[in-house]
Amino acid sequence: MIRESSIRRAASLLGLLTLLVPPLVLAQAPAFPFSAEARTHFDVPYVPTPQVTVDEMLRLGGVGPGDFILDLGSGDGRIVVTAAQKFGARGMGVDLDPHLIYQSEERARAAGVEDRAKFVQQDLFKTDLRQATVITMYLLPGVVRKLRPHLLALKPGTRIVSHDFDLEDWKPDRMTTIRKNVMLWIVPAPVAGRWQVRVPLPPIERQLELELTQRYQEIGAHSRLNGIPAQVWEPKIEGERISFVVVDSSDRENEATLYFSGRVDGDIMEGEVVQGVGASRVTSRWRAVRAPR
Amino acid sequence: MSGARAIMAGALFALSTVAPAASPAASPDVPTPYLPSTSVAVDEMLRVASVAPGDLVADLGSGDGRVVIAAARDYGARGLGIELDPRLVEESRANARKAGVTDRVEFREGDVLTADYRDATVVTLYLLPNLVERLKPRLLAMKPGTRIVAHDYGFSEWKPDRRVVISKTYLLYVVPAQVGGRWRLRAELPDGPREYDFELKQSYQEIKGGAQAGNGYLPAFEARLEGDRISFVMVDDSASYRFEGRAVSSLEMEGVVRTGLGRDLTESRWRATRILREGPTDRES
Repeated sequence: MIRESSIRRAASLLGLLTLLVPPLVLAQAPAFPFSAEARTHFDVPYVPTPQVTVDEMLRLGGVGPGDFILDLGSGDGRIVVTAAQKFGARGMGVDLDPHLIYQSEERARAAGVEDRAKFVQQDLFKTDLRQATVITMYLLPGVVRKLRPHLLALKPGTRIVSHDFDLEDWKPDRMTTIRKNVMLWIVPAPVAGRWQVRVPLPPIERQLELELTQRYQEIGAHSRLNGIPAQVWEPKIEGERISFVVVDSSDRENEATLYFSGRVDGDIMEGEVVQGVGASRVTSRWRAVRAPR
Repeated sequence: MSGARAIMAGALFALSTVAPAASPAASPDVPTPYLPSTSVAVDEMLRVASVAPGDLVADLGSGDGRVVIAAARDYGARGLGIELDPRLVEESRANARKAGVTDRVEFREGDVLTADYRDATVVTLYLLPNLVERLKPRLLAMKPGTRIVAHDYGFSEWKPDRRVVISKTYLLYVVPAQVGGRWRLRAELPDGPREYDFELKQSYQEIKGGAQAGNGYLPAFEARLEGDRISFVMVDDSASYRFEGRAVSSLEMEGVVRTGLGRDLTESRWRATRILREGPTDRES
C-alpha cells in the first residue's frame, strides 16, 4: 500500500516525468527521497530500452514509411531514430530531461535522420497525441492510468506499443515475449449504441437492429433480424474494422449464416456481408446508422 | 449423513442411467446416435477447415452424407464418408447422385475406429466425446498439416488451434509435425555460418526449447508449430533472429532466418538435422 501510494505521489511530484524507468526502480521506489526537491530527472536512474526490445516494439507496431511515431519518454532517442533510420518513418520524442533531448538530437544527426526524427523537451500530458499513428511508451502504472483515457480517445486504428508495463484492464491485442513482454494495443472505434442495419441480400432485404456494448476492444452484441431476436456470434473489433456473424433462423428449414465485416466511421458502419460458403456464397454490401443517443 | 447418502444414490442412479447410452466404450454395441448436422453446421465445419478444391474431406460418421456432398458440391473438393449404418450409406449414395457429385465422393460402410482414411487432408467429425477420444491417437498420427474439425466435442489435452462459436462450437486441430528432440541447427547468417545444438520439447502443437551455444543457453522465444510449419526467435549479441521454416521430414527442418529490421532486414537459410528422436508427443516430454 505504502509503496503504491509512494509511486503515485512520486509520479505527480515529478511532474509525470516520463523517463525510461527500469523495473528496478519500482522495487526500490520506497527508498527514494520523494521530496519537493526531487522534481528533476537527476534522482531517477535512466536505463535505455535494449535494442532488441526497440526492434520488437517497432516490428509488432507494424511501423512503415507512412507512420508518425510519438515516443513518450524518449530517453536517448533510440526508438524514434531507429524508426526513421530503418523504416523511413517520421517521429517525435518527448522527454523532460534537456540533456537527453540534446543526446537524442545528436543521435539523429549521426544517423542522418534529423529531418525526420524530432525531439522536444515537454510534459507528455501537454503533448498533442493525435498527430501519431504509433505511440511507443514505457511508463509507470500511475502515469499510464492517467494517460489511458487520452489514448482510448485517439483516432481508431492508432497503435500503442509498450513493454513490461501494460494498460491494466485494457488488454493488449497482441503480445510477444522475446526477453521482455512487448504489447500492442489498437485503439478501437467507439461502437456502443443501437444501430439500424440494412442488409439488401436477395431474395429479401433484411432489417437488422443491432445493439452493441463495448469495453475497450471487447464488444457484446444483441440483435433482432426482421423483428425476431437473433444471436450475434464472434463479434470483433480491431481499430475501425468490425466483424460479426448472425444466423438467420427465420426459415427453420433453411437457416442461413450471415458473415458481416466492415469499417466504422463515426455513426456509420459499412461493409460486406457474405451468406453461405463455397460455391453457394452470395456477397452483398451492408450499411448501418447509429441511432442518436 | 443420510442426506449425503441420498445424494450419492442419486448420483449413482444418474450415472447408471445416462452413462451407458452416452458412452460407446462402456457399451460397444450402441453406436453414436445419428443426429444430422444442420446445414449451418455443415457450412461452418467446411469453412473452419478452409476446404479448397485440392482437398480430400473424410467425414467420420457421415450419416446421410451431407458434409461429404457439400464439400464436393460447394467447394469442388473430393469426399469420403465412413458410416456404420448400411441404410445411411445407401441413402448417402442416392443423395450424391441427386447432387451430381458421384465422381468425386465415396461412401464406405465401416467402423470409424478401423476405417482407412489416411489420404484425407481434412477430417470432420461429429461424434460423442468417448469416440472422439479413442480416435485421437490415429488422427494425431496423420500427415502433419491435416486439418481436423470437431463439432461440439473435442479432444482432451490436445488444445484446438482455433475455436469458433456460431450457434455451436467448432474446433479446428492441425496435426502437428513431430519436432520434439535434439537437432543440429545450422544458420547461414550474413556474418558467417553458426551452428547450435538445438533442443525442442513438444506437447501436441506446443513447443519450447532453445540452443546450446558457445556463450551459453539461448532460449527459443515465441516458438510456434502449425502442421509442419515452425517458427521461433533467438536473441544473440543484441540482435534477434527470426526463424521460419518447415519440418520436411521427421529428420529434417529448413527455412529462412531473418535479422535486422526494415531497410536493414537480411534473410538467410537455416537447416536442422535430428540428432536423437524423442518419444511420442502424447506424453509431455
